[in-house]
Parts: sequence; C-alpha cells; structure tokens
Amino acid sequence: MNSVVIAGYVRSPFHLARKGDLTRTRPDDLAAQVVQGLLERTGVTPADIEDLILGCAFPEGEQGINLGRIVGLIADLPISVGGVTVNRFCGSSMQSVHNAAGAISLGAGDAFICAGVESMTRVPMGGYNPMPNPALYKRRPGVYMDMGITAENVAKKYEISREQQEAFALRSQQKAREAIEAGRLSDEIVPILTPNGAVSKDGCPRPDTTAEGLAGLKLAFDQKGTVTAGTSSPLTDGASAVLVCSEKYADEKGLKKMARIRSIAVSGCEPEIMGIGPVQATRKALARAGISVEDLGVVELNEAFASQSLACIRDLGLKEDIINIDGGAIALGHPLGATGARIVGKAAQLLQRENARYALATQCIGGGQGIATIMERI
Amino acid sequence: MNQTVKSTDRPEATLGDASGLSRVCVVGAGVMGASIAAHVANAGVPVLLLDRAVGDDRSSLAKGAIAKMLKTEPAPFMDPSAAKLIQPGNVEDDIEAVASCDWIVEAIIERVDLKQDLYRKLEAVRKPGAPISSNTSTIPLKDLTEGLPESFKRDFLITHFFNPPRYMRLLEIVGGEATNPDHIQKLGDFCDRQLGKTVVKAKDTPGFIANRIGTFWMLVAVRAAIEMGVSVEQVDAIIGRPFGIPKTGVFGLIDLVGVDLMPHINASMKATLPAGDRYISKADDLPLIAKMIADGYTGRKGKGGFYRINREGGGKTKESINLKTGEYARSERFSLPPSAKTAADLLTSPDKFGAYARVVMGETLAYAASLVPEISDDIAGVDAAMTLGFNWKVGPFALIDQIGPAKFAALLKQLDIPVPALVEAVGSGKFYEERDGVTQAFGVDGAYHPVEKPEGVLLLSDIRKKGKAVLSNKSASLWDIGDGVACFEITTKMNTFDDGVLGLLEKSIDHVKTNFKAMVLYTDASNFSAGANLGLALFAVNMAAWGEIQKLIDKGQSTLKALKYAPFPVVAAPAGLALGGGCEIILHCDAIQAHAELYTGLVECGVGLIPGWGGCGEMLLRNQADPKTPRGPMPAPRGAFEMIAVARVSKSAAEARRMHILRKADGVTMNRDRVLADAKARALSLVDGYVAPEKPEFRVAGAAGRTAFDMAVAGMASQGVATPYDITVAGELANILTGGEHDTTEIVTEEQMLELERKGFMSLLHNTGTLDRIEHMLETGKPLRN
Repeated sequence: MNSVVIAGYVRSPFHLARKGDLTRTRPDDLAAQVVQGLLERTGVTPADIEDLILGCAFPEGEQGINLGRIVGLIADLPISVGGVTVNRFCGSSMQSVHNAAGAISLGAGDAFICAGVESMTRVPMGGYNPMPNPALYKRRPGVYMDMGITAENVAKKYEISREQQEAFALRSQQKAREAIEAGRLSDEIVPILTPNGAVSKDGCPRPDTTAEGLAGLKLAFDQKGTVTAGTSSPLTDGASAVLVCSEKYADEKGLKKMARIRSIAVSGCEPEIMGIGPVQATRKALARAGISVEDLGVVELNEAFASQSLACIRDLGLKEDIINIDGGAIALGHPLGATGARIVGKAAQLLQRENARYALATQCIGGGQGIATIMERI
Repeated sequence: MNQTVKSTDRPEATLGDASGLSRVCVVGAGVMGASIAAHVANAGVPVLLLDRAVGDDRSSLAKGAIAKMLKTEPAPFMDPSAAKLIQPGNVEDDIEAVASCDWIVEAIIERVDLKQDLYRKLEAVRKPGAPISSNTSTIPLKDLTEGLPESFKRDFLITHFFNPPRYMRLLEIVGGEATNPDHIQKLGDFCDRQLGKTVVKAKDTPGFIANRIGTFWMLVAVRAAIEMGVSVEQVDAIIGRPFGIPKTGVFGLIDLVGVDLMPHINASMKATLPAGDRYISKADDLPLIAKMIADGYTGRKGKGGFYRINREGGGKTKESINLKTGEYARSERFSLPPSAKTAADLLTSPDKFGAYARVVMGETLAYAASLVPEISDDIAGVDAAMTLGFNWKVGPFALIDQIGPAKFAALLKQLDIPVPALVEAVGSGKFYEERDGVTQAFGVDGAYHPVEKPEGVLLLSDIRKKGKAVLSNKSASLWDIGDGVACFEITTKMNTFDDGVLGLLEKSIDHVKTNFKAMVLYTDASNFSAGANLGLALFAVNMAAWGEIQKLIDKGQSTLKALKYAPFPVVAAPAGLALGGGCEIILHCDAIQAHAELYTGLVECGVGLIPGWGGCGEMLLRNQADPKTPRGPMPAPRGAFEMIAVARVSKSAAEARRMHILRKADGVTMNRDRVLADAKARALSLVDGYVAPEKPEFRVAGAAGRTAFDMAVAGMASQGVATPYDITVAGELANILTGGEHDTTEIVTEEQMLELERKGFMSLLHNTGTLDRIEHMLETGKPLRN
C-alpha cells in the first residue's frame, strides 16, 4: 500500500453565521478561494490533482448541484480534475481525507484536494426543506434530534456540570486568544474577498470571555439543563482545505510533508448521545495504528459542545494539555462541512510545531457517529 | 462622508416636486431630532442627521442616537431597515453635505444664541431656497430670526412635532411675516401626505396652540387640586374620561412628559406671554413640584412622579403622592358616582368634585376661547390641535358646544371668570353647525365657514352626514362613497365579527355586483377589526351548540371566498388592529391599502385555535407566491407556520409586508385621514378589465413536512419557549399547512384546504386546553400559557 501524507493546510477566516463578515459570500465562492490559496501555498501542480473532494453537511441551495465540481470550476482547476461532494455531516471533510487516503493507498491517484465548506448563513442547518421520515421519527426520534439536546443528554449521562463546561469553554477561548495574539493562526488563513472587501481575521473568538460572563448566560436548549451558547460551538461560515498525496509523489515534487496518515476509522453510536462518537472511532483508529492513548502528543478533538468534549476526554483518558492547543470550535467556530479538514490540517501542523510523534484528529457527528484520523510526524 | 459642494454649483431646492423631498437634514440628535429623522426615514426619504462633533468618532452622537432608537419601544422606526436611510454626521465635518438637502429641520437645545449660530452656519451652505424649520416649542419665530439676513427669514419657519413623532399626529406649522407662503403650503403638504401629520397652522405666539392650552390646563388642574383638597386619583378620574380626555388625566400625563418640565415651561411662558395673560397669574412655582424634582421624582423617566411603583419587599404597589404632605401612600381606586359620569353631570354636580371640574374646565375652556384669534383664526384648528396633540376626544370648542355656549357663559360668570368675546359672540348658537352635510365653524367675523379639509382626505363620518347607508344592520353598513365605489363598514364593539357582520357582507357582495363598480372595506374607528367575538364563541361552546359554531365557520369561509371571487375588485383599507378574522378578511381582498400604523396578524393560536376562515390557505399562497421564498415544499408552509403558531402581530404596515400579509403591489398610506380616499382610488384603478382570481392549487409537504414541524415544536418545548398545549395547537396548524393526509405528490384544492381548517378548528374547540385559553383571554385580556 502507498503511504499517504498531508502536504498542506489552509482555511478561510471563520465568522459567525448571519452576523459575521462572510454572510454575503456564497459558499462555492468561499471554498474556491480557499482551494486557490492551497494551490498557491503548496506549489502543487494543478494538473496532477486527481480529484477535489469537498465535504458539506447541507448540500442544497447555493451548496447544491455537486458543489465539489462547481468549486473546482470556479477555482479554475484544470478541466481534467474531478470534483465530488461528500456528506457525513460534521465529519464531511475528514471523510474527504479518508476517501483520498483510500484511493492513494489503492494507487488510484497521487494528489487530492480535500476541502470542506459550510455557509450556515446562506443554507440553514437542517436545510430549506427538512422532510424527515415520519415512521423513523416515531421509532427513533434521536436520529433527527436537535444537536443541543444531545449535548444536554451527554452532560446528564456523564454528570458534567455547567461549571465544568464553562471552565472548558473559557480555556478554549483563552487558548484561541493566545494563538491569535502570538500570530500562530495567521499562516493558515487565506484572506477572502467578499462584496464588502477582504477578510483575513477570524470573527468567532470572544477574547474577553470571563467565567462570570459565561455563568450569566441563558440556557440555550433545555430550561432545566446546563448547556448555553457559551459552551456550544457557534453557527459559522467558513471553508478549509488540505492537500493529501502519496508520500512518493510529495518526495518527487519536493512538497512539504507535514504528517503521514497512520490510520482512520468511523463508528456509529446512539444518536441521542452523538457527542461521544469520537470514543469508539478513536479506539478503533488507535488499534489500527498499533498505538495507545499515551503515545499521542497532539489531539484535535472537535468542540461541538463542551459537554461532549469533556465526556470524550474522560472516556478516552486524554491528557488535557495536548488537546486543541490553539483553541477549539467553541472559540474558533464550527462550519460543519469545513471542520474535519481544519482539524486534520491543524493536527498535522501541530505535530511539526510541537515536535510530537502521533496526533489524533477526531469529531462527533449528528445522527450518532464518530470519525478519527491518526497521523505521525515525518 | 466628505461631500464638497461649492456654493456656486449648488442646485436649487426641489421642494416643488409632487413626490416630496429627495433628502432632508435634521440637526440635533436628541430624542426629538433623532425621532423626527426616523420618521422622515419611515416615509422612505433619506435623512442626514447631524449633531455636535465629540470624541474620537466625531459623529458618535448621531450614530448613538440611531443605535438607541433601534432598541426603543414604542419603536420610532416602522421597520429597522429605515435606519439605513439615515446618514449620521456632525456639524463640523459634514456641514457641506447640507447643500444636498431640500429641507433642514433644526431640533437642538432651546437657546436662541446656539440656534442662531447654527442658522448662520447653515445659511452659508444650504441650497438656495431650501426651507429651514425649527422644532422649537418655546421660542418665538421672530426671536429666532432676529438679525439674520432676509434670505434666511424668507425660508425660515417653525414645524413643531409632538413626541413621539411617529405616533403623534399633530404638526403645528408657524410662518413669520417674511416667510415664503409657498414653504408653508409645500412643507405642510409633505408632512401631511408623506409623514402622515395633520397640519395645523398656528400663529407665532408662545407655546403655539396645543401646548399653550394644554399646559395651562395642567397648571390650573394641579393648583386647583392643591387648593381644593382633591387627591391625585380623584383629579385623574374627574379630568379624564368624563371630558373625553385619556385616562392618564392630568397627573398621569405630567408623570409621562416629566415633572421637571413644568418649571421650565412656566418660566418660558412667563417670560414671553403678554402682561395680563391669565397664564401668568397661574404660573408661580409650586413648592411641592420643586421638592419632587429635588428628590428625583421627575416622572416615569425618574423614580416616579405623582404616581410611583413601590417595589419594597419584592412586590409592586402603585402609590400616589399626597398633594398636601408630599408623602406617598397606596393609590386608592376612585370612581365617580354614576350620577356624575358625564361632563354635563359633573359640571352641575353640587359636591367638591363638581366644583373642581367647574374650576378646571371653566378656566381651561375659557382660556382656549379667549385665545382666538390671538393664536389662530380657526376654532377647528384649535380643536384639532387638542385632539391630536393631547389625545382629547374633542377639542375645547366642541366641548363648549356639548355644554352649550350660553350655559357655559353663565357658568363662567358664576365662577368670576371673564367671558371670552367669542363665547359672547356665539351667544345662544353653537360653535359648529351642520349645513347640507358640511360642518361649518363659527369664525372671528361672526359668520360660519365650512371646515376645510385638504384634498384627498375622506372619512366615512363625512359620508354619513350626507345621507343614509345603502344597506345596514346592527353590526355593519354599506355606504356609497361616490364614483361607483361602495364601502363596507363594521360597526360592532372593537369591530368584532358576528353573524350580523357576515350576513351583511354576503348581502353587500350581491348588492355591489349590480349597483357598484368596486368595494372598499374600511372603518373610521381606531381599529379595523379585533377579530371574532370570543365571548359569543365561548357562550356557544358552553351551550354545546356545536352545530351553530360549525355554521359560523362555514359561513365565514363561504362569505370570505365569495368576497375573493366577487366579479368586482375589493380593496381592504385596514388601520390599527386587524387581528384574527380581521386579518383573514383582508387576506381575501384583491388589494390592501393599509394605514402605516397597521397591527395585524393571525392570532388564533393565542386562544388555542387556528385560523378557520381560510387564513391558513391564504398565508400559504402568499408565501408560495413570493419569488424570494426558497424552492421546495417546506419554505412556504414554514413562513406561514412561524407567523401563525406564535400569533405574531405586526408593529407597522412595513412589518406586515415582511410577514407577507401585504404583498408587493399593496399600498401604504401614511396619513390616517387619507386611507379611505387612497383605497377608493386603488379600487377604481382595478375596475377596468377586472377578472376575479383563479382558484389556487396547493402544493403541500405532506407527512414528512408535518414531522419536521412537530420536531421543531418539540425542540421549542424543551427550550421552554413552547408550552405543552402549544404542541397540540401547533400540531393542528402543521397538519393543515402540510396538507393533512395528502401526499406531497398530490395537488390540494382550496375546498380541501378549507375542510382541513374546519376540522382542525372544531377539533381544537372540543379541547379543554382551548376553552381555558379563551376564558383566560376574556377574563384578563392576556393569553394563557397552558
């Protein structure tokens, strides 16, 4: 089997849906600019790209009509480059990486752009035409359950208090603030041209967050619960992309190899507690890589909610100081389709920066799933 | 913003345009200036709002005022998007931009020196001939223009708005000797048509009309109360409803406008009124008021005023001040004896309350009568100023007519108040007379003159004076409003629907078919219709008269559809409330010509019901028809569901348009008195080649769509936003809007949609949750959240 490497990572700035600086930008235009940024920064030969694999959680409206192909054409990729849209909800663009890794291993292509995008402004969560299956809804209402309620369920089941969630959220905001202030995020961001000018800075983080401020927020989903907007990732507009290629191709072309993919996994779980999806997925991926939790030096665990993050950390026995070093989705935002590629790229970047050996990128997925990727520093 | 227009290439002001002004400048971003700017923006006219330059962002005062107004209730803006029409700036950096404005309104602090400094700045940059008006309420025009060039004097006038400008209909307009009469006419016309104001011409005297009389009235009432030992609650009961004055009376009103304003007004009046004016003898400062202000009791904006809310111990107790001691005590409910509920009874009542009413209203009405021709030549203008500026039901001269001018003169003699010349002159006659269906007013020349109405002002009350209704019963009437147009008017309490309304509407449709070209639905009343008569509905349910209720639903459905498919155009002209059935009826018209202040919505869910007279289907169609609605089966029902399920009511016609109740082609009239004429014109414009609408086909979302709504409501319930019974009611609504048992591949007809509404309505009416809601609403006026 061919060895697969991550050879580049970029993203757009992430901005709050409906309020931020990307509300007027179409998701296809947004993703195309990120793809162009990836090509420029990695120096990969566009004609060598086999396929643009684009993750998107609600591929309809402006995100419809096989967005993968549309984005490739907007980005002026050579006509020979394919385009496909992948949907695994929040895990969509991590799935893009997995699809590419599988193809490369099989010798079905050397270089892939694995991207993701979501305009939660322009295509609402749930889509314009939610038409759930009435019979399934009766039998398993959790399949369609509001994500916030699943976060409450996890908090209850794992007895995670509001205070614990807020302490976690506060740390995420503080880590993001430090990373921004130290300029550690600027390299990965591709400035986006919008109808109102260029946007080059993240819009989601709230650097002035305090414990008192968080404690004063209203409950967001359940009036008897513990989850607030402050301990949830915000609705976000954004796009991200990584370059995935065979190690041989990267060496031949002199591309910068960031990390080698060691293993991948997905796993289903109960929809009502979808937030613990990363636990089984990670266990499977660790076993496939032949390593244990103790071997991990970097973890990117998507912070859909503080409650599910804490539950996963506890169940997996992860060390807190290696998790989401530059801040997580609670601070940075969670554009559903774009998050997977971001945390894979981020984990690869951190392996280099932190000089660690193994990294884990993992996330939970609505409907009850987890997805995980283990990488090794090169 | 940095517009530099040289004085040489300044274009002429375009005030002459029939459509109005292309841009207006307001200087002064205080409460009045900012909200005048907001109201000009409500009319769709761009505004430049300037204030002083302060701080780093030198336009922060104007910007802050706009931001604050977006959060103010009652809202100065009819739609938040109007705020974008206001460009904020400051008088130092942006003064040149004034050159682009066709009218400049000054609303800065009441100081002659500062106003004149500003006028000189404006004079240097303004478009030649562009009128400048001050919103001053206290400074005479002649003082404001003293020493300024003739060119300025020619273009200067006073436009006095009342607070809040969006909601108060009065505008006093005052010209000086040098003022170009064109400005008064054209600005008056703009304020009338575009801003919806009733424009009253006043003379250049202190306080103009409304404040001169109104503040005198308040002053006399406070003094007399202290002297005669009448309590705060008693005063507001006496000098309130019996005289057609709002229930805030005198003290409630002073609390509202600010206790601290009183000494300012008194001082300014004393300084500017001619010696010997009766006002001056009443304007000495009162120790009680000085103490209240010193203690922070400045009214509702402060700790309280003559009334306060005591929150000690976590409760909420309404208290009022003892006018003798200055101490607060729990407010006592005071009701006048049944023998003294009307003005006439009170004025002849031998007790203390009668004596008090005689002094206060005698003084006030005599003062008002003595001021014609000093403040205005026109008694109708004075009456309009008091009805619109102080919300009196009728003005002072109409009140004197109610008492009888001769009786009133006798009363004044008894009270030792000089009888005004005009009251002497009218003698045993009246101030107003009806002649040939036209109201005539007594003039200073001793003759009667028709009360003039601007062109395009039409009220049913005018039509009524001229003849009888075409059709009529105890609940409604049909009027001939000329040019082949009939007007259907509801006359029940709050214009609610009953069997009589529907019956006459049915007859009217038949009658109009053969005798008229078009029909308008309209009423002079404050509210178009508050919907179905809930009391009657509950009564029928308690009697288990299910058959009767079913009949009423059927009759409502068939009558409204008959209206929709009538072979002539029908235009609804709603103003004020149009709720429930009142909203459903306007949804069935070919067009809506709404007053800008339209508060409409399908509120049935609030009482545990769903719209049963075709409202669900019509809202579905309106959402489907909007090209901005995203494609697919769900967005249209979702638009209707989100509005109906939460019983949303618009806070303006602009919001009603966002809710899809008004369509693109539907019109909005700013001036309440022009709604009927505009609706009539709209109806006539539809007559040529009119074809009734075709029957619609509904594309529905089916069971999957219903599941999606159920899921959304379940989510809202867990968030604590929806109550358990909301789930039942919203479920019924979702069932209708998604087509019930019909699959998404089927076309649903209008009849099938009506059947779904009928079933849903009857099923909810059999539920105790709904009955609890109706009972609670009837008892408390508030929705039950069960």
